[in-house]
Amino acid sequence: MNTQTTSSSKRSAARTALETAGIYAVAATLLVAGVLASPDFLTAENLLSILSGVALLGMVACGMAFITYSGNMADLSLPTTMAFSGIIAVASLSLGIVPALLLGVLAGLAIGAMNGLVVGKLNANPILWTLAVAFFMEGFMRFTWSNNQLYPEIEPGTPGAAFIGIFRLRTGPVPLIVLVMLALFAVAHLVMTRTRFGRESRLVGSSRAAARSSGIRVSRVVFFNFLAAAFAASVAGIFLTSMNKLGVFYLGQGYDFKAVTAVVIGGVMLSGGRGHIPGVFGGVLVIGLLTNIMTFLGITAFRQNIVTGLVFIAVVGFQQYQLRARGKDYA
Amino acid sequence: MEAVSKRYPGTLAVDRVDLGVNAGEVHALMGENGAGKSTLMKILSGTFNDYDGLIRIGGQTVTLHSPAEAKEHGVGMVHQELSLARPISIAENVLAGRLPANRWGLIQRKALFEEARQWLEYVGLALDPRKAVGEISPHEAQLVEIAKVLSNKPCILVLDEPTSSLSREETARLFDIIRDLKRRGLAIVYISHHLPEVFEIADRVTVLRDGRNMGTLSIAEATPQKLVQMMAGQTIDEFYAARHPEIGDTVLRAVHLTRRAYFHDVSFALRRGETLGLAGLSGSGRTELARSLCGLDPLHYGTVALHGGIIQPGDYARAVSKGLVYLTEDRKADGLFLRLPVSQNLVAALTARHSTMGLCRPAKDAAVAQRLFTTLHVVAPSPEVDAGTLSGGNQQKVLLAKWLATKPHVLILDEPTRGVDVTAKRQIHEAILGLTAQGTAVLLISSDLPELVGMSDRVLVMRQGRLIGEMQRQELSEEAVLLAANGHYAFRTPDTVTSNTGRGAVRPAASLQEQGRP
Ligand SMILES: Nc1ncnc2c1ncn2[C@@H]1O[C@H](COP(=O)(O)OP(=O)(O)OP(=O)(O)O)[C@@H](O)[C@H]1O
Ligand SMILES: [Mg+2]
Repeated sequence: MNTQTTSSSKRSAARTALETAGIYAVAATLLVAGVLASPDFLTAENLLSILSGVALLGMVACGMAFITYSGNMADLSLPTTMAFSGIIAVASLSLGIVPALLLGVLAGLAIGAMNGLVVGKLNANPILWTLAVAFFMEGFMRFTWSNNQLYPEIEPGTPGAAFIGIFRLRTGPVPLIVLVMLALFAVAHLVMTRTRFGRESRLVGSSRAAARSSGIRVSRVVFFNFLAAAFAASVAGIFLTSMNKLGVFYLGQGYDFKAVTAVVIGGVMLSGGRGHIPGVFGGVLVIGLLTNIMTFLGITAFRQNIVTGLVFIAVVGFQQYQLRARGKDYA
Repeated sequence: MEAVSKRYPGTLAVDRVDLGVNAGEVHALMGENGAGKSTLMKILSGTFNDYDGLIRIGGQTVTLHSPAEAKEHGVGMVHQELSLARPISIAENVLAGRLPANRWGLIQRKALFEEARQWLEYVGLALDPRKAVGEISPHEAQLVEIAKVLSNKPCILVLDEPTSSLSREETARLFDIIRDLKRRGLAIVYISHHLPEVFEIADRVTVLRDGRNMGTLSIAEATPQKLVQMMAGQTIDEFYAARHPEIGDTVLRAVHLTRRAYFHDVSFALRRGETLGLAGLSGSGRTELARSLCGLDPLHYGTVALHGGIIQPGDYARAVSKGLVYLTEDRKADGLFLRLPVSQNLVAALTARHSTMGLCRPAKDAAVAQRLFTTLHVVAPSPEVDAGTLSGGNQQKVLLAKWLATKPHVLILDEPTRGVDVTAKRQIHEAILGLTAQGTAVLLISSDLPELVGMSDRVLVMRQGRLIGEMQRQELSEEAVLLAANGHYAFRTPDTVTSNTGRGAVRPAASLQEQGRP
């Protein structure tokens, strides 16, 4: 009995490993391609710069994964959540650096809480609702700060200078943002695999109706998923604001789509309930490598977007094909 | 069909089966859960493009690699798991693919609804075809599905457990239709686990076991014993043991429950270790009552008390944590997580119990899942396959096991043995008896009258949203319950309902008319 038990959990672990292996194989291929493209590619310096290049995306993707996993597809208000957190942090720098950071994160959480309530309790369509919130928040930020950009003071010793510094902090050669991203991924992985919340998110993502009639508090689960996403996005948003040395409504634009791409190529099904965090990390790496190689090859940012879009389409198409090939007519 | 096979990853579901069905014949297909009946018929209806073997229709060899091809060759199939589009109107579902359009390609709504109404009438449904399918109940959806297939005018008709959600009247009506179609020369394949139905309607019977054809009998040579022997390899009689329940104190008390347009002023009490049957025609409000009682659906008036504590209306999660649980009648819509492994379905209701301080305990989950998987004899390669790959009856076992594992105080069962074979039914009944012996109180809703009569200690009868009376164990018989459900039974003890609840007089059968049917 006991041996059967372990063998069955081993089997599912093996399945997980196999599903994740795919994305890492792609990452490895890209590494090789990168080496072929440029001899400077495989230096520690470049690899670290790839990691810092994807750190902010990684954080957002980590949060977005919760949304997709719990069957809510995507939170399109994450870019404005990033911008809003940054603006609030900059605007409250006069209170000191720590309160400013806390307030920034709280501002982001407020948006997440609202989304979570509306989607969880009132059953709003997550895509439409978060799209509307993004639209509203952009207008709100423009109106409130009347199109002005917020520059923190940069005299040394002021909270403003400290704020600008956080993006540039490093421990040894490793930037703080890379460490924060890795920490977020680690925590997210534990939450999804080891906690009741992770379990329930999976059930809700697989079938909201069945989860409800299994006695799970669906609205609460959805609420915390949106909160988690908003938390990750506001941390990323604060770093982004620090990097740009200004808080403004358009920071964060484009992160929503890239994050969903990373999540989906990392093997999280858009229909919910399937996938895992290590895969998402792989997806983020692949996007980072792809971008880096294209930059090495001198491809402009706009063209890079085209490639990212094509990758997304290809992956979603492939997932659908796989489902059909496996005969999942019930899915 | 000659030497037809179909392999799923890990299972050879249909193994070189020969099957011949004549025009003007009703051919029953029987076999245990997972025997391959649905798969065999899905091949015929063009679900797979990778089956082996030969199919001939009207002497002509055909390849059926898509539903469209099958339709072209006149095959129409009513699937076991319904496949209607829920947000769309009934009419559009029925006539999907052939919507009447005018010269400019615009849908002619009047013609659409008129034609749909005629088909609904033919299957005996008085529903507004403009209603969305998501709003109707499973038995109505089943009939809509049949109407949809018939509207394609098939020459081969496959019915996969069509009666599992139908009431007696609806079944009788369906049989009239089948006889009519037979006279018109259709070849009909009829899948069912109900022996009496098969003897009533079929001309020949073919039995499948483990994907293989065990033989075909004409109905004249078949006997129930013979068929069960062929299906199970042993004989099992449908037989309910004499009940000696130890009935204790009141566990659940429902007082004046009302949900407008569904049920009205229902009061009753349920005692420890007791199995209380709930009888009534389809549409009498039994399912609605059960769902509101446990908090899945709204309750407009009245209170539910469990062990003296009030159950908050509309808070099902709380009810579950207190041990009041409901087994849904519609496993596809809100029962199973079809895309998750069986093991996770089995422990889905235990996430709260199997976690300490927010952390889950995978080892415990796995152990419980494995135990349930074996005790309920779920037929599947392993607990790690997706629940959606299981045969209908095995899905039902998984659904039931999910709730048995929670050891509830009150278990509401809504059609617990739908689509389940004779052996599995026996196992499920034993599992229920085991629970009641440990003190669980069961509220049983079942349109399977032998089951309702055989399993219940008392039966409450509902009609048009009202409780009209109560029958004691010694009064119970299939005929009596049927009469009572139709409002033609003189209850010997009409007051017991009232005295049981203490308060809340239940009005007798006289005042039925005022309540409009939902
Ligand atoms: N999509 C699928 N993927 C993998 N295996 C499947 C799939 N569908 C069915 N099977 C397997 O094929 C076998 C036959 O299933 P089938 O649905 O034909 O049984 P059935 O005779 O209709 O049973 P029931 O009476 O329970 O409806 C079962 O062992 C089942 O687990
Ligand atoms: Mg079947």
